[in-house]
Amino acid sequence: MENLLMRELIQHHKIVIYLVLIGICLVPTVYALGLSPLELNIQVEKGKETEVVQNIQVSNPSENPIHIVGSVSGSVAQFITLDPQEFDLPAGPGLKSPDPRPYQYVTVTFKIPREVPETKYTGEILFTQQPVAGGMIGTAAQLGVAVRLTIGTMAAAEFPVYVNAMLAILILSLIISIIFYKRGKE
Amino acid sequence: MKKTQFYGIWIYALLCLLLVLLYKFYTGMFEAKIMEYNLSLWYALAINLVLLVTSVISLKSSKLPAILGIIFSPLSTYLFFKSWTEMNYQYLAGFMVIPVILLLTTMVKRTSAAQEPRLTQQK
Repeated sequence: MENLLMRELIQHHKIVIYLVLIGICLVPTVYALGLSPLELNIQVEKGKETEVVQNIQVSNPSENPIHIVGSVSGSVAQFITLDPQEFDLPAGPGLKSPDPRPYQYVTVTFKIPREVPETKYTGEILFTQQPVAGGMIGTAAQLGVAVRLTIGTMAAAEFPVYVNAMLAILILSLIISIIFYKRGKE
Repeated sequence: MKKTQFYGIWIYALLCLLLVLLYKFYTGMFEAKIMEYNLSLWYALAINLVLLVTSVISLKSSKLPAILGIIFSPLSTYLFFKSWTEMNYQYLAGFMVIPVILLLTTMVKRTSAAQEPRLTQQK
């Protein structure tokens, strides 16, 4: 039985070696990206142009420099812009090291117009770790931040002072004119 | 000045006030569209039709407020529609100036009309 297994291994040794090598390359790639926070919940008022700015920290714990590309998926994508969308992170201290990891803040700007047909939008902000030229990593890994945007209750328009003043003048004119009219009658 | 003209302008000014209050506290109601245009246009148009009809009816009795009403009616619709679609409050201020001008004109006309018989009596 053992001989049979050994023979099989010897026959397919090349495949086994390739599988082991791929595994070695993949394992640090998948975990070599740190994201914080992992979820964004945004709530805005309806009928009001709103701009919300949030920051996501992207860090590199691996011992290799990495290149990150950000993208947005789902229905929420129409409202989101990322800055920067692409960036490089230098080599980190290693996965098990407690030393600080190099990081980059990505500014996520939500621009929600006044007229939106739905009340809930969902999606994901994806950070793809791409192979660095001349680096060890040959495959791409991806991690995402879940995004949930809720359009809440109706917002009240915030009038500037001169519009509020005009509103007061209009109310006064209505009252005064009716008094004038009644006096004129008498 | 006829009773109809005064009350027509007064009701028009009141409706303008109601429309502005709706704008302030329930903006989203104008989102709905009819024939490609949002409700801000149709509401302003309905209110300004009141002014236009009142002005045309009372053209013979008191000319100045009537002519002003006919001129201001389409302008007022345009100002409210623009204010909502472009979210520019300067247009909204312009929309509110119109009923104030019309109310002031009616007040001036009313006082001058009341003074006329007294002056003739004195003579």
